[in-house]
Amino acid sequence: MCRPPLGESVSNLLVVRDLTKSFPGQVALDNFDIEIGAGRTHALVGQNGSGKSTFIKILAGFHKPDPGSTATLAGQTLHLGDGGEAEAAGVRFVHQDLGLVDTLNSVENISMGAGYTTGRFGRINWTADRRRATEGLEALGFGDVNVDVPVAMLAPSQKTAVALTRALFNWEDNAHLLVLDEPTASLPGADVERLFSAIQLLRDRGVAILYVSHHLDEVFEIADDVSVLRDGKRVTTLPTEMLDHSRLIELMIGHKLERLAHQSTAKVGESPALAVESISGGTITSLDLTVRPGEVVGVAGITGSGREMVAPFITGQIPSEAGNVIVCGTALPNYDPNAAIAAGLAFVPADRGTQGIIPLESVSNNLTLADVERNWRGGRLRHAEERAETGVWIDRLQIKTAGTEIPIGALSGGNQQKVLFGRSLRLTPRVLVLDEPTSGIDVKAKEQILQLIDEAASSGAAVLVVSTDTDELVQAAHRIVIMVGGTIVAELSGAEMTTENVEHAQLQSTKATPA
Amino acid sequence: MTMTDTSASDDPAAGQANHDEEEEVSATTSWVHRIGLDKYSGLYLLAAFFIFFGITESNFLIWNGSIEFVLTQEVIVVLLAFAFLVPLTTGTFDLSIGATMALSLVIVNKMALETDLPDGVGALVGMGACLAIGAINGFIVVKLKVNSFIATLGMSQVIAALIRRIHDGGNITSAFGDSYINFGKGSLFSFKWPWSETIIELPYYFFFGLAVAVGIWYVLEHTPVGRKMFATGGNPEAARLSGVKTDRLAWGSLIASAGIAGFAGLIYSWKFGTYTSSVGPPLLFTAVGAVFFGASQLKGRPNVWGTVIAVYVLAFGIKGIGLRYPREIDWIQPMFEGLVLIIAVAVASRQAIVKVNRRKPASSDDETSRAIEHEVQPSPLSGFSNDHEHPETHN
Repeated sequence: MCRPPLGESVSNLLVVRDLTKSFPGQVALDNFDIEIGAGRTHALVGQNGSGKSTFIKILAGFHKPDPGSTATLAGQTLHLGDGGEAEAAGVRFVHQDLGLVDTLNSVENISMGAGYTTGRFGRINWTADRRRATEGLEALGFGDVNVDVPVAMLAPSQKTAVALTRALFNWEDNAHLLVLDEPTASLPGADVERLFSAIQLLRDRGVAILYVSHHLDEVFEIADDVSVLRDGKRVTTLPTEMLDHSRLIELMIGHKLERLAHQSTAKVGESPALAVESISGGTITSLDLTVRPGEVVGVAGITGSGREMVAPFITGQIPSEAGNVIVCGTALPNYDPNAAIAAGLAFVPADRGTQGIIPLESVSNNLTLADVERNWRGGRLRHAEERAETGVWIDRLQIKTAGTEIPIGALSGGNQQKVLFGRSLRLTPRVLVLDEPTSGIDVKAKEQILQLIDEAASSGAAVLVVSTDTDELVQAAHRIVIMVGGTIVAELSGAEMTTENVEHAQLQSTKATPA
Repeated sequence: MTMTDTSASDDPAAGQANHDEEEEVSATTSWVHRIGLDKYSGLYLLAAFFIFFGITESNFLIWNGSIEFVLTQEVIVVLLAFAFLVPLTTGTFDLSIGATMALSLVIVNKMALETDLPDGVGALVGMGACLAIGAINGFIVVKLKVNSFIATLGMSQVIAALIRRIHDGGNITSAFGDSYINFGKGSLFSFKWPWSETIIELPYYFFFGLAVAVGIWYVLEHTPVGRKMFATGGNPEAARLSGVKTDRLAWGSLIASAGIAGFAGLIYSWKFGTYTSSVGPPLLFTAVGAVFFGASQLKGRPNVWGTVIAVYVLAFGIKGIGLRYPREIDWIQPMFEGLVLIIAVAVASRQAIVKVNRRKPASSDDETSRAIEHEVQPSPLSGFSNDHEHPETHN
């Protein structure tokens, strides 16, 4: 484990200077510098929006940087923003989603990236390809992978190993950089350990690794150096030995001005409208929470903490393994959104494109979908009444649309989201569950949606807001529960409920609670 | 056009006014809109056929009651097209409809031939068998989670096997009694063109078909069930999360589809009174093609009256061409059907793209909207290519 400290004795593999990237209205990276030592594992940490992903995307050539930056890889000039050149110079990526084709086997997936070995007449030499795949996997300690079955049937860590093998093909260990972007985000605990042993093997071979993760425990476990990003700038780069957990969190969060916690006028009732009892499944080990009428409860947690599965389990979007969801005294059947709605629970899902809108149907049809029967009288759907009702919601939610009958797919994301809010609020729900309610929408729409959350609570609904946007939670919620390692580890309310405290709590050690 | 914050808070009529204003913007496409060439291309084509063939082919309007012949014969194709249309609205394909039609036809013939039961009983047994086929299709698609395209393709062969088991393959003729034939074929309505002596008679089964059309139209366009069916076809996961019982709708639509196909078989039995082994599956293309051609008509999505228009445009076109080029019709017919389908859908897709692009200025306040708009790329049929799969998780 003991590595030479970062200093004169270590040569830098990648050096980036003065990297700036601005998007309209926002500077994602601001004169960012970084040096990555040859043969070292370098962690890149920072909160959402700190510029980590922008840097990775520039390195991979998805974005072009603003002019003025310089970069060298192993002493050679590297033009940032050119994906082909980075690839040719030896920068390889394993992204969070791995980029494997689930229906193909490991040999085919590896050959897809590495190129096929071909014989005469262009026939693929599967024997050679198969040997290459097994040897590559063995070198990572994954000799047990069955290379003949579709990768969908492999364990999560085995899939990651396949992606690693593909990235490492045709590779000189000490002249290249391997970028791992959130490789453990969807891995269960035991699989994380296997992946770490593979990374350890690579490190021993002298491979330089840039490791991006939200999990600070992992950073301390495998990184030699850590760079901290905040608001598009590098705060510092230090050897891991010189840091501890709380110091690192402090560096990540900095000393930002706190926004005032939201002053809700809603009167909170006594008995809970929503009670979740010992729900488990997926990344959630055990979840218990209650929300009372008039109350807004926020759920925070880093990706992989189980936060992303809270709303899907409660609303019946995906089946849970155990536990109960109780809405106003009625226990909901598992995996049944229809029953949840009937019991008074309305839901705005996280991904409005795939789970929310019916893109080619009109604004009116989308808005009324959860209760079409309301305008069904005398054996006919009253289309005029539907349009009038939709018009009222368009006014109330300030939806920008050229009419009630145009396809919702033609609206902007924020306006689509408002229509989905209308779909839920129209049910006058007793429980409202919002999953990432403001993702991908602009500031103004976001303010309006926070307003709507307050109004819903004031009118007596119990509101559960699940979000990765801590500022938003602090503004909207009466109290915030924090998920770590699949369960709730802390609850903040009142004066304690600050952005800083919430983010602090999310980054607490996951070791206490095995995943 | 400009869309400002204030206009959004006006009453809905203001939004509508903006919409209308927008229609005027593009001079190149507005005349196409004004005469409805985008949505009514089928009707224009139909009118063109009547004018052209009416003038050039003296027999077109009167020949042996050719209008009557086309109107009545095509009822069978129209029903078969409905059988494809109904599950398609929920994003489910039923390719077994041709075989299902043949099944009811062979059962009703065989029972009339070999039993002493009234012919009507055979018709009921045939319908029952078809509904059972639909229920099994639904089970395979919903419970066994087999892609509907594959499930019904397989079922189509299974039915073909059942048909051969029931009957050895020869033709069955004159099996029915007069009362059965009259029940379907008796003339309910007749009229005469002023320029011709031929009396055009429309039989009962023509009106049975019309009743089915009105029924499906009513369910799809004027009931919550229809609304939910289209929502399921447009985005099954979003519909399910909004409380729509998508599995039940898919299953029910497959039963309805088999029932409609079975009824098409009964109409065949009334019209022709025979069974031949070449009936059924060969009509599948015409039926499927009519539904997709029909989706480009009137509404920009699969619909009942568009389908009816599509069937008759094709039928009268082929009738006219057949009169003009009697020796060539054999190869012209499939060529005509195929080209009309491709051209109509291509034109409709272009129109839809223009429509959404024009609306973009009203709605470009963030990046996500554009990304989503790309996915919506709006062929009238693109919403119907989704499969019945529910993602296990989301990230």
